[in-house]
Amino acid sequence: MTEETDALFQALFALEDVRELLRETAPKHKLNEIQKKRFQDALKAVRSGLDRLEGRL
Amino acid sequence: MNVGGLELRDREEDYVNINPLQTGGRPYADARKAVISYVDGYSVCDWCKGDLCSLEKPPVKAFLDDVSKFLGMDAAMLTDGAREAKYAVMHAITRPGETVVVDGNKHYTTYVAAERAGLRIYEVPSSGHPEFKVNPEDYRGVFDQVKAETGAPPKLAVLTHVDGSYGNVVDAAKVGGICKEYGVPFLLNAAYSSGRMPVDGKAVGADFVSCSCHKGWAAGGGNIGLLAVTGAWVEKVFMKSSKYKVKPLEILGCSTRGSATPALMASYPHVAERVKHWGTEVENARWLAGEFEKMGLTVCGERPRSHDIIFVESEILFKISETHKKKNFYLASELKDRGVIGVKSGLTKNFKLSAYGKTREQVEHVAWAFKDIIEKHGPK
Repeated sequence: MTEETDALFQALFALEDVRELLRETAPKHKLNEIQKKRFQDALKAVRSGLDRLEGRL
Repeated sequence: MNVGGLELRDREEDYVNINPLQTGGRPYADARKAVISYVDGYSVCDWCKGDLCSLEKPPVKAFLDDVSKFLGMDAAMLTDGAREAKYAVMHAITRPGETVVVDGNKHYTTYVAAERAGLRIYEVPSSGHPEFKVNPEDYRGVFDQVKAETGAPPKLAVLTHVDGSYGNVVDAAKVGGICKEYGVPFLLNAAYSSGRMPVDGKAVGADFVSCSCHKGWAAGGGNIGLLAVTGAWVEKVFMKSSKYKVKPLEILGCSTRGSATPALMASYPHVAERVKHWGTEVENARWLAGEFEKMGLTVCGERPRSHDIIFVESEILFKISETHKKKNFYLASELKDRGVIGVKSGLTKNFKLSAYGKTREQVEHVAWAFKDIIEKHGPK
């Protein structure tokens, strides 16, 4: 797999993790401490995927 | 925002969705990731060796081996849904004009599948309002009736393990025992049970188990089901084409050839884990049913509740519709305003719902939404 494709899926998959948090906490979207950590980890993965992608194309 | 001209669907992200048709099929993040990756047509067929169910890459065969054990059966194959699984059994083991016995709470597709197979249909009635219970012992009487009227026992008995209206859980082992006694093959329709709660086909005497994976196995949007059978039926029900030697007849060779199969495979570890926590789901359903009763609503079906589906009757909510400016559409609208969605628009007098897979906080939010509507719009 090329690095750009790997980076793309890393970002997409991490966004699905964010989406999961929205689903778990609907409708108020108030995150507890564990969920906040998951959210931050997912955002980091999205950003890193996008950074890698940007660097390749 | 829209997508390809379609309204963006945000029912799971922005609302607590209590549509009982959808709660058990909602996919986990892993399944959605699998769909993103396998979105192309025939994506599961990249390393096809002739038939879907014996694929080694992705490991469909190993998955089906695991799943058949998970269901307490000997073999399993992928179908396009539970209805296709039921029809496959009927088509494989009966001939037109023969007889099938079904239960009064059957899904319409059980009946339609039997019709398509050209079968004579006898029905074990439910107890009717308000519990709508199917008594396993009543299968005995209908089997006797079939024998008296046709000269032979039925060729198949079908039990809806859990019905989709009242969420009654029937004692499948009792029906299985009676089927064994009469020598009638037994098909357990586990569309609303498998994937949600533990199901052990052989333990209840089932010869066949049909499952809906977009309904109960968190497989998401693609149509996908499972048909599991005992060893004695493998040859007949999984029979291959005489010309195309690897193609099972009853699924016309191959069934779910796209992303639904990887989605199911990705959801399966979560499903295998979640059935262990079925007690929590029942506890939540009982709590919610209790809250409804405190509000003056009537909960139908067996008591105490043993499943997440709750059928509600309500004079209070109906009365509100007579004066509310949105008439009978007010309930769905007022619920939506409070972040709850999934009660069929236009219904107020009776409706069904499920809070399966929701957090306790979300279940409590559902109860609050109904209570708030009644307090604001109900009789003062």
